[in-house]
Amino acid sequence: MEHGTIERELHIDASPEVVFGVVSNPEHVREWWPDEAEYPPVPGGEGRIGFGDAAERTWVRFTVVDAVPHRLFSFRWTHADGEAAAPGNSMLVVFELEPAGSGTRLRMTESGFRERGWDEAKVAFEHADHVTGWDFYLPRLPGYAAQVAANA
Amino acid sequence: MSTQVDDDLWSAIGDPTRRRMLDLLLSEGGGTATSLSERLPVTRQAVAKHLVVLDRVGLVHATAIGRERQFRVDPEQLARAVAQLADVGAAWDARLHRIRRIAEQIQRRADENGQQSTEKEQ
Repeated sequence: MEHGTIERELHIDASPEVVFGVVSNPEHVREWWPDEAEYPPVPGGEGRIGFGDAAERTWVRFTVVDAVPHRLFSFRWTHADGEAAAPGNSMLVVFELEPAGSGTRLRMTESGFRERGWDEAKVAFEHADHVTGWDFYLPRLPGYAAQVAANA
Repeated sequence: MSTQVDDDLWSAIGDPTRRRMLDLLLSEGGGTATSLSERLPVTRQAVAKHLVVLDRVGLVHATAIGRERQFRVDPEQLARAVAQLADVGAAWDARLHRIRRIAEQIQRRADENGQQSTEKEQ
């Protein structure tokens, strides 16, 4: 079992057919995430996603786990070259789609962060709210995050 | 944008005793292995080992005071650890926002085309 999960849910005013295409088709995926995406959107499909300008692009491995049209699309990413995507060496992202009215309810989970690193850091983060000492440092974060983003 | 997660940093912060030590160092402005062990249910030796881990990832820095080393928390590095956690969630929020925008655009275009072709047929 994998611990440490990010979960998000949102409503989209578009049919599950449309949303499925946007989250699974590499042509669409590079509109909302990487600068380049190359993989067959079928179960087991091996490929890569690239970040940055064409001149100095960083490639990250990407493997489709499951693709059930209009209902489910899942993939693993960040596994090392030469390794098959598996629990423990990569992050698992799962998109689940459900019709909701005239639109779609989209649920996203990302899991597979190193068990302790993620779980405990999350605890630390929540813990931070309760400890006076941490309160002093938390206000510094937005500025720092902006700086990190600017240097990235 | 890909979000890099620093495993070593998170592991260092992942241990409850080490987090308690960080809390104590923050609230008291610093401390030594001896002073920390007096406040914690662990030996001075164990505290010293934890301090090595925290020092290695830059969460604390030491200065020599007499025979003991005084440790302080590095606020920049602590901020970095917490910011990485927040970044991963924020990155997904941004991606999902774009997914919604793209999907709704496609849907609107399809609806408009559908209406036009229906009108033509009529």
